[in-house]
Amino acid sequence: MRHDWNAVCAVVAKDFTAIRRSKAVVLPMLFVPFLLLVVLPFGIGLAARAAHGGDLHNILNKLPGGIARPILRYPPRQQLVILVDGYLLAPLFLIVPLMVASVLAADAFAGEKERRTLEGLLHLPIGERDLFYAKVLSAWLPAVAISWVGFVVFCGVANGVAWPVVHRVFVPTALWIVMIVWLAPAVAALGMGVMVRVSARARTAQEANQLGGAVILPLIFATVAQSTGLLLVSVPVAVGVGTVVWVLALALLARGASRFTRDRLAASL
Amino acid sequence: MLTIEAYDLARRFGPAWALDGLSLEAEQGEVIALLGPNGAGKTTTVRLLDGVLTPDRGHARVLGMDPVAEGAEVRRRTGVLTEAGGLDDRLTLTENLVCHARIRGMPLGEARRRAGVLLERFGMSSLASRTARGLSTGERKRVALARALLHQPEVLFLDEPTSGLDPAATRDVLGLIGGLAEEQGATVVLCTHFLTEAARLCRRVAILEAGRLLAFGRPSGLAAGLWSGLPVDLDMGGSADPARVEQLRNVRGVTAVEPNPSGATVVVTDRDVIPGVLAVAMPVFSAVPRPPGLEEVYFALTGRASAEDAQRAAVPA
Repeated sequence: MRHDWNAVCAVVAKDFTAIRRSKAVVLPMLFVPFLLLVVLPFGIGLAARAAHGGDLHNILNKLPGGIARPILRYPPRQQLVILVDGYLLAPLFLIVPLMVASVLAADAFAGEKERRTLEGLLHLPIGERDLFYAKVLSAWLPAVAISWVGFVVFCGVANGVAWPVVHRVFVPTALWIVMIVWLAPAVAALGMGVMVRVSARARTAQEANQLGGAVILPLIFATVAQSTGLLLVSVPVAVGVGTVVWVLALALLARGASRFTRDRLAASL
Repeated sequence: MLTIEAYDLARRFGPAWALDGLSLEAEQGEVIALLGPNGAGKTTTVRLLDGVLTPDRGHARVLGMDPVAEGAEVRRRTGVLTEAGGLDDRLTLTENLVCHARIRGMPLGEARRRAGVLLERFGMSSLASRTARGLSTGERKRVALARALLHQPEVLFLDEPTSGLDPAATRDVLGLIGGLAEEQGATVVLCTHFLTEAARLCRRVAILEAGRLLAFGRPSGLAAGLWSGLPVDLDMGGSADPARVEQLRNVRGVTAVEPNPSGATVVVTDRDVIPGVLAVAMPVFSAVPRPPGLEEVYFALTGRASAEDAQRAAVPA
């Protein structure tokens, strides 16, 4: 089947422009990454500069050996910042692609119904698959871009604030690189896959967000975070978890694509 | 040349038939109306003809193509004004137009040029760079209509193009629709529940109710099928008295007489009968032959359909 990439790009460009102008979409998309990737590492860095170390031993002893052992090798004053910024924030970081992808997917799919703009798109000579790809890309690309830009900012803040304590660039670690390059795009795709299904039933973006954001995505996040938090002690495990998430995401998206037909969409208007 | 042909088109949603057995045709440059109240099946018809919905029964050809098998090609050559207009409030008017033009494969420069020309033509160029949020209903309709015309479609589907418009805007839009068919040779399918605009613009009308096609054809032809004779309004300066009514009934060629406050309406078999009627009715200040209009045809057909439905419902199964 031939694809009309010009039409795909036109829909993506339209959605990007529309998203940029919508405060209701942009603000939550920026607030959470700012909190997680700027405020948190900044606070942790300041705390590490003020602390004298020593109290962390008890916490580290309760963590799996794979995480605790490398941290215990550092001087006590560095342990807090390395534990939080180098390890604990990594699974938490996955909230960013998951949340951004789900907010944008709700806007791209259910939002078109809510704004009554979907019917106009259905009457255009764009293939169903092309329209689906365009909608997926207009949510997935910003989710990954925000994650990556956020990560660069996070590295700057974390290393900069903790420099007086650590005296070197300690993030990104190899684990973080796998998380950013492999796992974050997979989680964004998984969020998309879920929201495509949810949006097919919802009549408004808010309804889709409530159903997807309040019920389904937290469950996914808990599962992914749990598995990464407990298992991400080595790069191969992270790669494995990422592969599983990719397979799940692509299966959900393929299922969503097969149900994304003009007839079905028009019948739901 | 026929540009639209539909045979026994039907589509249901769940157990209910949204459209049940629609057959019609339209020639190049013709304006036809789909007339009916909300829920009659007008929008479903447009979606079926444009290949957005798939029929459960029947088939159609638009510009010689099957909308189910060649939907993309059909949609490339048709333009649609949806009932809601479908403008994205977050985009500027130009962006709303350019985006659709780009999806239709128009180069960016050409898309911008066409958008500018059409916004100018519809008197919206001063607002071209502001977002669609806050536009009045009339302004939205005009922009949406401009968008539907971007690629100079050969068939134009207009779903309630004048609903929500003020009288001046309605007049402008109707003038434009007539011009499209006459000057550009576009076939226009006008979905409306306004009888006057259908009567003004359309040669043929399809009257729909609850998904059923009640009739399709010229209003005069439909009237001929419903009634025989020509009604003539007589202004007699006051209601015709019973004796005069009786005299009128006895005139050869008169089939019915109905008194009214200014005189009477007399139904004659032919125009030649009118002098005989006038001779009996004198003094008469005016005699105006009034062939049944679309409104009478519409209400007669929908009323008959309702009566038949009620009769069917009353018959025990």
